[in-house]
Amino acid sequence: MQSIAPSGRGAVDRTLREGILARVVGGQAVAEPYDALVIRIADDSSGVTDAEVQEVLAAAGSEKSAFEIVLTAAIGSGLRRWDAAIRAIREAGDASS
Amino acid sequence: MRLPEIERGDTRRHRMLIAMISRVSGLRLPDAARVAFYDNSFAGPVLGAWTQRAMRGPSGWSVSERELMAASVATWNRCPFCIGAHSAVAVRGMRKDVVAAALADYRSAPISEKLKGALAFIEIVTRAPEDVTADDARDALRAGMTLDELQDAAAVAALFAIVTRYANALDFDIPSLADFDKAAGMLLRRGYA
Repeated sequence: MQSIAPSGRGAVDRTLREGILARVVGGQAVAEPYDALVIRIADDSSGVTDAEVQEVLAAAGSEKSAFEIVLTAAIGSGLRRWDAAIRAIREAGDASS
Repeated sequence: MRLPEIERGDTRRHRMLIAMISRVSGLRLPDAARVAFYDNSFAGPVLGAWTQRAMRGPSGWSVSERELMAASVATWNRCPFCIGAHSAVAVRGMRKDVVAAALADYRSAPISEKLKGALAFIEIVTRAPEDVTADDARDALRAGMTLDELQDAAAVAALFAIVTRYANALDFDIPSLADFDKAAGMLLRRGYA
């Protein structure tokens, strides 16, 4: 699961991608307008608005960059859940073995 | 779809593939497939391979059970596209009324205790990952699944935590019920990679 973390090539600067991955697990805010969209995706993706995506598109400068920001926030949210689940499963498995 | 380039396709080859698949299948190619083609030097191919492994790879869970898990995560995450897409696949191997009952309230639905146990675990993982504990995992194991099966369920939950978020953020077009059904046939024949 960790191999899907977007650490390789991309239109978006690696520092921002790493910042987004950290942000969705409680890390420091990334620059606006990215932070508002990242938090919305992490906490309530059904509430994302056209305006939030358009602001990120304008700031990021390309649709590919906006897409990578969205996907990185989503992937970070998934990795957070994977890590939590696997920790719980491993601890339960260790105790029963 | 909030990013028109994803809808169109970002290369001539992708635009041709989108048009051809839409024509041959008789439906507008869903936005999830358009995303899979897009920006494919980024995370797409790896995400596709993980989805294929989690949803179609060897597992103690049937394909329908895993698709029900995906539709359940979509319900908890309020993602109408994924609810539609994955319940349409689940009903190919389970009764429609059973799938509907499980999505409404899995605890009282006519499904196995093992599947209820998995759904209970992945509901906590989905809604409150900070709260999931080893006791939650033990409760799931007591419902009759193996460690591998619990891990498989967690993989579905993690993947659909991702997919539901970008589907919502990009505002995927919602197909008709007939098109969800056609797309379900494609997903069963072609998979996710």
